[in-house]
Amino acid sequence: MNRVQRARGINQIMTGVFYLIAVFFFTLLIGFASYVIIKGFTGATPEMFAFARKGSIGNQLFNTIYLVFISLLFSIPLGVTAGIYLAMYAKKGFLTKFLRICIETLSSLPSIVVGLFGYLVFLVFFGLGKSLLAGALSVSILAIPVITTTTEDAINGLPGHYLQASLGLGATRWQSIYHVLIPACIPRIMTGVILAAGRGFGEAAALLYTTGSGTDLRWNNWNLTSPPTCPLNIFRPAETLSLQIWGGLQINGQDPNLANLSAAILMILVLLFSIGEMH
Amino acid sequence: MEAKKANDYKFDISHLNLHYGDFHALKDVNMKIEANKITAFIGPSGCGKSTFLKTLNRMNDLVENCKIDGNVLLDGKDIFKEMDEITLRHRVGMVFQQPNPFPKSVYDNVAYGPRIAGIKKKSQLDEIVERSLRQAAIWDELKDRLNKSALGLSGGQQQRLCIARTLAVEPEVILMDEPTSALDPISTSKIEDLAMELKKDYTIVMVTHNMQQAVRVSDNTAFFLLGEVIEYNDTEKLFSIPEDKRTEDYITGRFG
Amino acid sequence: MRNRYDMQLHLLDTQLTHMGELCETAIAKVTQALKEGNTEQAQVVIKEDEEIDQIEKDIERLCLKLLLQQQPVARDLRRISAALKMITDMERIGDQTSDIAEIIISSKWEKMDENLDKLTAMATGVSKMVRNSVTAYVEKDLELARTVMNDDDEIDDYFDEIRDQIIQLIREADGRDGRKLFDFIMVTKYLERIGDHATNIAEWVEFAITGVHKDSAVMH
Repeated sequence: MNRVQRARGINQIMTGVFYLIAVFFFTLLIGFASYVIIKGFTGATPEMFAFARKGSIGNQLFNTIYLVFISLLFSIPLGVTAGIYLAMYAKKGFLTKFLRICIETLSSLPSIVVGLFGYLVFLVFFGLGKSLLAGALSVSILAIPVITTTTEDAINGLPGHYLQASLGLGATRWQSIYHVLIPACIPRIMTGVILAAGRGFGEAAALLYTTGSGTDLRWNNWNLTSPPTCPLNIFRPAETLSLQIWGGLQINGQDPNLANLSAAILMILVLLFSIGEMH
Repeated sequence: MEAKKANDYKFDISHLNLHYGDFHALKDVNMKIEANKITAFIGPSGCGKSTFLKTLNRMNDLVENCKIDGNVLLDGKDIFKEMDEITLRHRVGMVFQQPNPFPKSVYDNVAYGPRIAGIKKKSQLDEIVERSLRQAAIWDELKDRLNKSALGLSGGQQQRLCIARTLAVEPEVILMDEPTSALDPISTSKIEDLAMELKKDYTIVMVTHNMQQAVRVSDNTAFFLLGEVIEYNDTEKLFSIPEDKRTEDYITGRFG
Repeated sequence: MRNRYDMQLHLLDTQLTHMGELCETAIAKVTQALKEGNTEQAQVVIKEDEEIDQIEKDIERLCLKLLLQQQPVARDLRRISAALKMITDMERIGDQTSDIAEIIISSKWEKMDENLDKLTAMATGVSKMVRNSVTAYVEKDLELARTVMNDDDEIDDYFDEIRDQIIQLIREADGRDGRKLFDFIMVTKYLERIGDHATNIAEWVEFAITGVHKDSAVMH
């Protein structure tokens, strides 16, 4: 066997290896997801899909989405601004380096630690009750570094000549960022946001001490200043799907089937987001 | 060259020195750039020609540790002391080496400058876009795809679009930094023809690595070496009877 | 360094020198034929003119190749364009030399003792001018080129002297020897023209060195 044949042989073997690994992960994902979803729906009863105070997942689903939405309201502006700062304004030096280390550390913090931090700061220090807002803020702490890093990478990944061209046409630095750089980065920033949102949907640990487990919603009460039964009130306790799963498996007397359905719905939600990210 | 009236010169540069940190990038540059002419800068890499070009619309302001002394007068006004860089860049536009359209539609690319400058009326923008694309000799090619992304154009079309984008701001001077070095010969000759057409209405200053290009299109040529202007003269004269031995060695390819 | 380019330019110098030598040899041989009335020698001169025509074509081709491949500027451009002009003059020198040879053959050239010395001196003079003009090109010697231009005055003086003497002879001969005297003045005129061509060459040499041709800038 000559040199060329051997090289071609190795090439084919390696191609095969990579296909096998890809097939393995694909099977794993499909198997896992379908197990969770099928198991969730097989044990479900029609009442479980209701928006009731007990024994259903409707309110939890709403809370999950609403909480992530609120947390993004905080984390997108802060994260994107911080990313722009790091990419465009920060001068190279000790402070910037330190800031970057902080952000990296923040993004790798265990979420239970973030939950404790949220509890200490938002509940104990600022005196918020266990509430959707406190939970959303805790999730923001997890989301901000993700969004910051993707924004910074997105801007740095742009061809350097966009900024030059814009400045050359008599635009200011901010006009260039606002009219050229950010629009050019939006697809990549969106990826970061979706990643962060995905993490928010599944988050349980950070919410354990911060959102409480209330689901007492009145769907005809849209008065934000009323007692905490208005669905849009952010100062009310709000159990999410992930907390419901946790509760369902931990606390006696809860129906494990309900937790299974929660898991299935959460799975679908995360899958939808991941697929959405690709488009 | 015969004596010229003061207003025949667009730029009057005297005793210009530029440092990047400790590096002395431009050494006592003195030059007058004629209006409605094409002036070419030639010289080996790192000789300061691009740095000098960028000084003319203060694109060097972006570089850290860049220190500039001396006077650069645009129509008699000091561009550092009597003008802000935004106004300057409206008057002195720039076309870069790599075609660099924004990831926007053809229309939005050309309308970018005018919009930044505060023009909002659709009819007015339409008119500017058409006029600029016509001036850049690319209207016929692009009029049916104004709303398509500029990134889908060929390199030569992108570069002419970038020229149109610069023209839309209605500058007086156009700086071109090796505008054809990334293009094929046909696109190159289109850009060269365009430059020669545009000099009726604009003053053009061009950095080029291609000496034949300098010979073909420019009226005046400056030869830079190690941050100094070695020779600045009528192009035909510089390329037929250069006065300085270093110029001769460089243009005949016997440098070093 | 542009090694191949410099080698091609060197080849151009060598070929021009060779062409100059061919012209010189032709003039020397035709002078010999004039002195001896040697028609065989004259035949040789006519034959050898083909060689001059051939080398003109070779040099022309080399110059065009250099223009195309190297896109010369500055001194190289001046040298190559000057060479293109010079070979035209040299080719004319070859033609006029063989025109003299034709006269020798067709007229059964008869010696004219009283004027032959002057004619020989004139031929030697133009031969030197041709040699010097080509040498001035190869050596980039401006002084030598100017010497050639000045030498042309001497040739013109010879021409005037010989012409006056021939006029005198025509008067004295009273209708006899018409053909002989006419041929003599023709040969003298051809030599004078060769001197002019050598001057042209020297003027192009000056251009190659200074960029100025006959006191006016060709390129500016």
